Amino acid sequence: MRKYLVLASIVLGVSALAYATTYLGALGPIGSDTRQLAKLFLMHTYNPEFPELTAMSPEAVTSIVWDFRGVDTLYETVVFYMAIVAALAIYRGVGYSAIRGAGLSVIVRVVTRILIPMNIAIAVSIAAHGYLAPGGGFQAGAALAVISVLLAVVFSASSFGKLGISLARAVILWTAGLLAIAAVVFAPVAFSAVTGVRAFLMQNYVKLDSPFAFAIHIYGQQVSGTPTWFNLAEFLAVSFGFFVIFMLLSLREDVVREQLGESRGH
Amino acid sequence: MGTSLLETFLLVLTLYSLLATAGVSIYGIVARPSITKKIISLTILGDSLNVLAIFVGFRVFSVPPVLLEHDTNSAGLIEFSRTAVDPLPQALVLTAIVIGLAVNFFLIFLALQIYRLYGTLDSRKIRELRG
Repeated sequence: MRKYLVLASIVLGVSALAYATTYLGALGPIGSDTRQLAKLFLMHTYNPEFPELTAMSPEAVTSIVWDFRGVDTLYETVVFYMAIVAALAIYRGVGYSAIRGAGLSVIVRVVTRILIPMNIAIAVSIAAHGYLAPGGGFQAGAALAVISVLLAVVFSASSFGKLGISLARAVILWTAGLLAIAAVVFAPVAFSAVTGVRAFLMQNYVKLDSPFAFAIHIYGQQVSGTPTWFNLAEFLAVSFGFFVIFMLLSLREDVVREQLGESRGH
Repeated sequence: MGTSLLETFLLVLTLYSLLATAGVSIYGIVARPSITKKIISLTILGDSLNVLAIFVGFRVFSVPPVLLEHDTNSAGLIEFSRTAVDPLPQALVLTAIVIGLAVNFFLIFLALQIYRLYGTLDSRKIRELRG
């Protein structure tokens, strides 16, 4: 009976949403007009004519993610950080070195050895061009994290130890990424404290009452102020955050149970 | 920019499919006893709502929200803002994906721990064991 009640309420809910979106215009104009807010973001994503309003990044999504709504992304990074801390807390007391395994066949191993450098190159490219083209720190980090899964599946979890990738080192690199994000956030304020020029947290380009701006060109090459540095820092944080997660998930369950039992005294 | 009858039909079809997928995944979360299936349903719900958000920002015959010419004048920028898709849902979805991933990781580790403690992922049996 309960099952049918649940089903009926879901069907009713979906039908109500379908009606609201189709006949009452609950989602606004779909597929036709561009919203005013979208026009505002698109007009100012890269617009040197309005330096106080622009993010100086030709990629509008990156502009929104790291400038217009940058604090959102900062807290998103905090959520991701908390999830990894929770995972580490659950696995506390588990040593990584106890894992041994054989891995897959030689053909798969050779192909993976060829693929891994390409994977690294693609990930770095996605991170470095995030201000210019679709991509960014998180996408690049996810691309690099594929390597951790490949290593665990193809070469077995013991390959992390052979390559010198320990859980502690992954945590250190992940923390370095988070600290780099914090450095970019606090850089304008530190600059302000040293020079006396007014600047704000996470400030990217000049504002009405602040002349502070991150460099938009470096040796003639266009970068995009904070979005570029945030992307690179996020790349480091996300990729090694994923490494930590996948290293923990690749542990053999019987070994984990044994070690958790010993370390917690039951 | 108006849309033809076929385009409207396809847009509405996509919208209803997404809503139906969200409905089925809510059923999976609420009614299925297996914690694994609840987590899978939650990821499907998150993904269908993310696609719905992207769908809200979609424009027929539009261009990606990437400015290709950096020396564009005001007229060029106005044209760009008129023809590009809405970048805000894409940015929000990017944030939602990361948060969803963090939540999923957390739930997976919790499920692992539940399995270690109770030896099952069936929520009915876990309730009985608790009592």
